[in-house]
Amino acid sequence: MPSKAAEAFVSCLLAWLIPGGGHFYLGKRKRALVFFLVIVATFSLGVANDGRSYLMDRQQPLTYLATFTNIATGPLELISRQATYHTLTYSIPADENDPVAVQLVERMRQKVRSVTDEYGTTYLLAAGLMNILLILDAFDISIGRKD
Amino acid sequence: MLRSHFLNMILFSLLVSVFFSFLTQTDRKERLKVMMILCLSMVVLSLIIAYAMFPFPLSAPR
Repeated sequence: MPSKAAEAFVSCLLAWLIPGGGHFYLGKRKRALVFFLVIVATFSLGVANDGRSYLMDRQQPLTYLATFTNIATGPLELISRQATYHTLTYSIPADENDPVAVQLVERMRQKVRSVTDEYGTTYLLAAGLMNILLILDAFDISIGRKD
Repeated sequence: MLRSHFLNMILFSLLVSVFFSFLTQTDRKERLKVMMILCLSMVVLSLIIAYAMFPFPLSAPR
């Protein structure tokens, strides 16, 4: 039988890898299924509505938090990042004349031009925030703080 | 693509309320109650705020 610390680590890791995975591992199967469906539905609505993943930009510190929230969705997030930038990148080069930075900004602008971009981006961020709460909840359950 | 702001608001409220009801409650009846309260309050409050913003112009007057 794994120790509480190991169980907490595995449940948090699984919760990040697959939404609801931590709860499934801890035996909360029904709750895990609902969480999985809700987060995948929220994320899918984000991608379908032309939502954009954030990039870390030194000139805009809040983008660090937004990128962290995107990453919290887990590997699922790679889909939206690929759809936004056609590459798996997480930061924008500091030099704004850098051809890579120019290309990334142009791809971001293409998304922003979409009518539903604001909705989509909100859905993507909401999916990440909900998954952060799930990771914390899985941790609480694994250490016995919550049922 | 969902272009309707209202439909997006309803869907978002539903998803978030289902999530929080399952996160915070274990009893079935309590879950349903929390889900309804959360969903309705999000939709109704948004409509009240939207109605309150109605007299304001979309752009600054010239």
